[in-house]
Amino acid sequence: MTRRGAAIAVLIAGFAGSAGAQGYRLRLDTRLQVVSFRGLTADSIAAGDTVTGPGGGPATSDGFAVTCGGGDAYCHFFRPGPILHGAPIVTSADLTLWGLGLPGLSARLSGRAAGEMGNDHVWPGTSPEFQLLEGYLDYATPHVTVRAGRQFATSRLGYEGFDGGRLLLRDQARGLELDGYLGWGLTQGAALPVTSPALNPLDDFQPRRRQIVAGAGGGWTGSWGEVRADYLREVDPEVDYFVSERVGVQAVARPPVPGLTLQGGSDWDLAMGEWGSAEGSATYTRSRFSATAGARRYRPHFALWTIWGAFSPVPYHAAFGRVTIRATDWLDVRASSEHYAYSPADVSTALVVVEDAGWRYEVGATASVAPGMTVDGAYQAHFGPGASEAGATGTISYAPERRLLVTLSGATLQRPLEFRFEESRLKSIGLDVQAGITAALRLGVGGTYYDEDRRHPDAQAFNWNQFRLTAFATIAFGKGADLRGLPPAVRRMPVGERP
Amino acid sequence: MTGRPVAMLAVLFLWSGTLAAQQPAGFDHAKHAKLFPACTSCHAGAASAGRSVWPDAASCTACHDGTIQKRIAWQVPESLRTNLRFDHVVHIQKAVTRFAAGGKTPPGCMDCHSTAGATWMAVQPPVVTRCFACHGLTAAHVAAPDTACATCHLPLALAPRLTRADVAAIDTPPSHRVAAFRTAAGHGAQAKAPGGGVAASCATCHARDFCLACHVDAPEQPTIQALAVDTRSTAIAVRLTAPASHREPDFLERHGGRVRAEQRQCATCHTRESCYACHAGTPRVAAAMFSRSPLRGAGAVIDRRPPESHGARFTAQHAGLASARSATCAGCHVQADCLACHRPTAASAPGYHPAGFLARHPAAAYSRETSCNDCHNNGSFCVSCHAASGLVARGPLGTAGFHDASQFFLLGHGQTARQNLESCIGCHVERDCIGCHGSFGGRRFNPHGPGFDAARLRRKNPQMCTACHGTNIPQ
Repeated sequence: MTRRGAAIAVLIAGFAGSAGAQGYRLRLDTRLQVVSFRGLTADSIAAGDTVTGPGGGPATSDGFAVTCGGGDAYCHFFRPGPILHGAPIVTSADLTLWGLGLPGLSARLSGRAAGEMGNDHVWPGTSPEFQLLEGYLDYATPHVTVRAGRQFATSRLGYEGFDGGRLLLRDQARGLELDGYLGWGLTQGAALPVTSPALNPLDDFQPRRRQIVAGAGGGWTGSWGEVRADYLREVDPEVDYFVSERVGVQAVARPPVPGLTLQGGSDWDLAMGEWGSAEGSATYTRSRFSATAGARRYRPHFALWTIWGAFSPVPYHAAFGRVTIRATDWLDVRASSEHYAYSPADVSTALVVVEDAGWRYEVGATASVAPGMTVDGAYQAHFGPGASEAGATGTISYAPERRLLVTLSGATLQRPLEFRFEESRLKSIGLDVQAGITAALRLGVGGTYYDEDRRHPDAQAFNWNQFRLTAFATIAFGKGADLRGLPPAVRRMPVGERP
Repeated sequence: MTGRPVAMLAVLFLWSGTLAAQQPAGFDHAKHAKLFPACTSCHAGAASAGRSVWPDAASCTACHDGTIQKRIAWQVPESLRTNLRFDHVVHIQKAVTRFAAGGKTPPGCMDCHSTAGATWMAVQPPVVTRCFACHGLTAAHVAAPDTACATCHLPLALAPRLTRADVAAIDTPPSHRVAAFRTAAGHGAQAKAPGGGVAASCATCHARDFCLACHVDAPEQPTIQALAVDTRSTAIAVRLTAPASHREPDFLERHGGRVRAEQRQCATCHTRESCYACHAGTPRVAAAMFSRSPLRGAGAVIDRRPPESHGARFTAQHAGLASARSATCAGCHVQADCLACHRPTAASAPGYHPAGFLARHPAAAYSRETSCNDCHNNGSFCVSCHAASGLVARGPLGTAGFHDASQFFLLGHGQTARQNLESCIGCHVERDCIGCHGSFGGRRFNPHGPGFDAARLRRKNPQMCTACHGTNIPQ
C-alpha cells in the first residue's frame, strides 16, 4: 500500500474513532494475491533471414512462423513472453456514520487503496493507488431520500457513477417511487472520471472534461408485479454534445400462479436511434424444482466520445433455458443452455469464414454428502465466434463449524481460439481455508497450482505452470444501538458478525 | 395451545399417582374388606362436611396396638397435588338429587373408585372412564372435547400444588396435534369464551406465560390477557412452526403484499425486529409491527436466506430482475452489496467469477455472456492487462501475425469486428482502424453498416464524425 493509501486508511480509522459518541460501522478488507503471468512478445526478423517452415511458409530459423507483408523488409512474429511476477494488494474500507444530530442523516464513505508488491505491474486494477468508490451524505425519511456526494445509480441502463445529488421520492402505500439525479459522471466500469490519467488507453480520444450526467426514473411495486422506466443522458460540457442518451423499461410480473415469475425489458439508444439490449424470461419455481426459459438480445453500447458506435456493431439474439432440481434432500442437479446467433453483419467475404452463432451449456450437481461437507461438480462447454471452451470444475467444501471453511477445488479446461492457432489446455487444483478468528475478524489463505499447456503449431507453444496464492483479512466492527430511522446501508453493515 | 383434555388426563394421573404414594405403605383395602362395611367408616369426610376424608391414627391403633396387630405408623397425608375441581360432599349431594329425580339409585363410592364388577373394597383412585360415563363423555381422557376439561379441573393458576414437572408431564391431546389447531381459527377461536375472556378449559393447563412463547401480540389479545400469570405454564414445551403458506416457493417475493393486507395476522408471530433480520430498509409495514419487548413473545426467529429465485447462476442472470425491482431488491440489499461485485478488485478472491476464470474468459468475453462493461472499464482493466501480455497492436494492422488462423483475416475481419467489437477494442485503439476506415487518405473503407443514421448522430455529437471526416462531414 502506498503512503497515500495508508494515510487515508488511518484517516478513515481516526474518523471512526472520533465518531464514538455517535454510531458507526466500519469494515476493512485487505486482499493479497501472488501471481505470475506470461504473455507474448512481438518480434521481427529481416525478410532475408527467414527460412521455409515445416508448413511451407516463412519461419525463423528457431521455428517461429512469421508474417511477411508483400515487399516489407521485415517479417513479424510472436515469442513467448517473459514470466512476470506480481503481488497486487488491495485494502478497501467501508464506513458509515450516523447520529449526526439529525434523525435520518448519515454519511457513507467507501474507498480503496491498491498497490503492487511485486516487481512487475502485471495485474489490472492496481492504479490509481486510491479510489473513492462512494462518499456521500444521506438524509432519509419514509417518503424522501436526499443524497449528495459520490454515488452510483443502478438501472437497466447500467451502473452509473457520478459526483452530484440525488432525490428519491416514494409513496410506500401505493408502491410508487420516483428519483432523479444530476452530477459529474464517472467513466463506465470504474470509479474514475473519464479524464483520469489511469484511463490513458483511451488514447487521443480521451475527453478533457467530465460529462454531465442527468437521469430520472420511476417505478411501481405491487403484489402482482413491478415496472420501472429510466432515462439517462450524458453531455460533454466542453462542446455541449451528447455522450449518450438512452431510455429503458423493465417489468416483472407475478401472475396468480404460485411460483411463476415473468420478467422482461429493453432499452433504446436515443443517440444512435437503435434498440439496445433486451430480454424476457419466465421462471417457475417450486420447492424442489426451478426452471427458466427465455430469450434475450445483446447489443453493446458505446459512448459517443469513441468512434466505435459508428462501426455498426450487430446484436446477437439468444434463447436460453436452465433448470435446477433438488433430486433428494442432499442432492441438487442443474443444467443450463443457451444458443445465440448474430444478426447479419453485411460485410462477409468469401476469403474468411467467421462463425456467426454459438451455444453453451452446463450440467452440474451439488451434493451434501455429510454434515458440513458439500461436493460440487460441473461440466461446461461453449462453442462460439472468437473462442470456445470445454472443461470440468469440482469443489469439495468442508465447514465443520460456522467459523471454518476449507475448500478443495480442481478444474480442467480446453480453450481453442478461432482467429489464432492457439489452444490452451489447463489443469488446476487448489486449496482455500477461511477462518473466523473472532466475531469481527476473518482470515483466509489459499493456493492454486495451474498446469497450462499452450499449444501452437510452431515454437510459440509453451508450458506455463505456476502457483497462485491469495490471502485476505476482513475486520468489521461498529457501535450504536439505536438503528431506528437509519438508511438501509447502515443496517446491513455487520456488527461483530461473520463478515 | 389449549389443553383441557390434557389437563384431565394429567391431573387424574397425578392424583392417582400421588394418592397411591400417600396411602400407608402396605395398606391393602381388599385385605381389610371384611372389617369395614362402609367406606365412610374411615373416610368420613367423603360424606360429611367438616370432617377429614382420611382416618385418624387412632382408628388404626384400635387394632394395630402392638398386641392384636403389629403397630403401624400412620399420618394424615398432605394435600394432594391435584387440580381436580372436586368436593366429595357436594358431588354426592348433587348426584343424589339428580339420580333421585330420575328414579335411579345414586352412585356409591365404588362406582367411582373401582372398575365395573370389582369386589368390595377393590378400590383405586378415581377411574376416569367411570367419571366420563356419568358425565356423558364417551371419548378417552385426553381425546375428550376441549370444552370438557373444566368440568372436573381447576385452572392451573388455582392449583398451586402442581409443580413444573407435573405440568410438563401433561400429554398433548389429539386435538392439539391437528395443523389447523395452530391457526387463529383453531386454538384462537376456541380460546375465546362466549361471554368474553378466555375459555375455562384452556386455563386448565395454560397461563399467559405459555402464550408468550409465540404470541408477539399478547398484550393486544384480550383472550391472552384474561389468563392468569403463571410461569409453570411454560413447562409445556411449544415450538413455533411456519404455516404452510410460508413454505411456498415464492413466499419471500410475495410476502410484502400479504403483510400489507394482513398485517395484524403477521404481527401475531413477528416482531418488527424479525423484519429487520432480512430487510435492510425501514419498510412501512415493519415500522407498524410491534417491537420486541419483555411483555411480548419473541416470535418467529428469522434465518435470513435468499429466495428460491436466487438459485444457481442467479448472479449471471440477475440484471433484468434487479433493473425492474429496485424497490424489492432494496428490501434486503443495499448498494454496497452491488459494489461488492460491480467493481474490479485487483486482488480479489474468486467471487462473481468462478476460480480460474482468467483462463476461461476469452469465450465468455467474445460473446459477452454477461455485460463485462458493467464492472470492468475497457481502458483501465482489459487493455492494461492485454498490453502487459503483448496483446496490443503495434504498427500497421495485418503485419504482426497475431490472427494467424486465417491467412486473409485482415480482409475479412469486418464480420467479426461487428460481432465482437468490444473484444476487438480490448487490444486495438481507434487509430488502428481510422487508418483504413477514415476519410483522410488511406483506403476509405466505409465502416457504417445498414441502418446507420448519420443525420441523427451528427445532430447528437458531430464531434465524433470529425474523428474520421474532419470538418467535411457528409450531409
